[in-house]
Amino acid sequence: MTDAALKNLSVAQLVERFTAITLGQFQAELHDEHKKYNDLIEEMLAVEQELKNRPGDQRSALVPLFLHPNPQVRLMAAELTLAVAPTTSRQVLQELWDRKEFPQAAYAMGTLRALERGDRRPS
Amino acid sequence: MRRHDRALRRACKANFNPAQPRVPRGQPEGGQWVDANGDPVASRRVRLAGEIPTGDPPEIPKERPPTSRARSVALKTVARLLGPMAATAEIAKLGAWLTTYSAEISSYSDSPKSLEELQRAVSEPASGYEIHHVVEQTQAERDGFTREAIDSPDNLVRIPTLKHQEINGWYQRRNPDFGWETPREYLSGRNWDVKRAVGLDALRIHGVLQP
Repeated sequence: MTDAALKNLSVAQLVERFTAITLGQFQAELHDEHKKYNDLIEEMLAVEQELKNRPGDQRSALVPLFLHPNPQVRLMAAELTLAVAPTTSRQVLQELWDRKEFPQAAYAMGTLRALERGDRRPS
Repeated sequence: MRRHDRALRRACKANFNPAQPRVPRGQPEGGQWVDANGDPVASRRVRLAGEIPTGDPPEIPKERPPTSRARSVALKTVARLLGPMAATAEIAKLGAWLTTYSAEISSYSDSPKSLEELQRAVSEPASGYEIHHVVEQTQAERDGFTREAIDSPDNLVRIPTLKHQEINGWYQRRNPDFGWETPREYLSGRNWDVKRAVGLDALRIHGVLQP
């Protein structure tokens, strides 16, 4: 989907699209389809940018996904809301690690460590 | 899925508190509940009606899949599902063919070890484990490092087979901690110390190496 097409979607539709993309990432990881996974990252970042550009920065619309049953959806929702929901997004990452939900737990701990070191500055 | 919906409904119902602070009217998130930190509250905005796609992992095949890729998916799924409960009896319940891979499945949930333990184990080959290069060998070779350095005892560890595959995949997938590059792209052309630091970190965050 082009950036122009994303502009025509409502916030709820963008969240739906985000969910579908991250579920696709979950399957791509499971099947070792790295190129597909990386392409889906590109698509996810386009959705994130569109949400960020909306009045009031609508990335907080991803916060309900913190309760999604799929760990990849929760991981990416938390990663992309670190600037707008700093405390709860970190809790989601910590939970992924505590529950040993690999491979997402590895990304979660990587991010928590990077934040602690000051290597990641969410914006 | 339905059980999850019901649990969400119960949780939302039980936590409902009309006195909880909200974002003031007139702002983009106006009316939305916030927590004590001022973060938007997740449970408030979950849509409960309709299907929530879960992307559940595939069913575990009862018979041994004919392709190595399908077997790999099944083994990963079982290892992640069972975690530390991966005793042979539990594995067999999911499919008799899986018992052939009991070592791979159960080693996946090994507790983290010290670097010395992982290095010492290199001289003791065991089923369910593989030798892993802390600094990735193909890239190190491409960047001009010698085989002597790449295969030195300091760079070799014995780790669970399925963790080895997981870490190899991690190097190839885009990652927010590397500016959304893959770790492999990020490390291309960098010096040995940087490659080694990332390699050790990969082992830590995958629960193989002690923090």
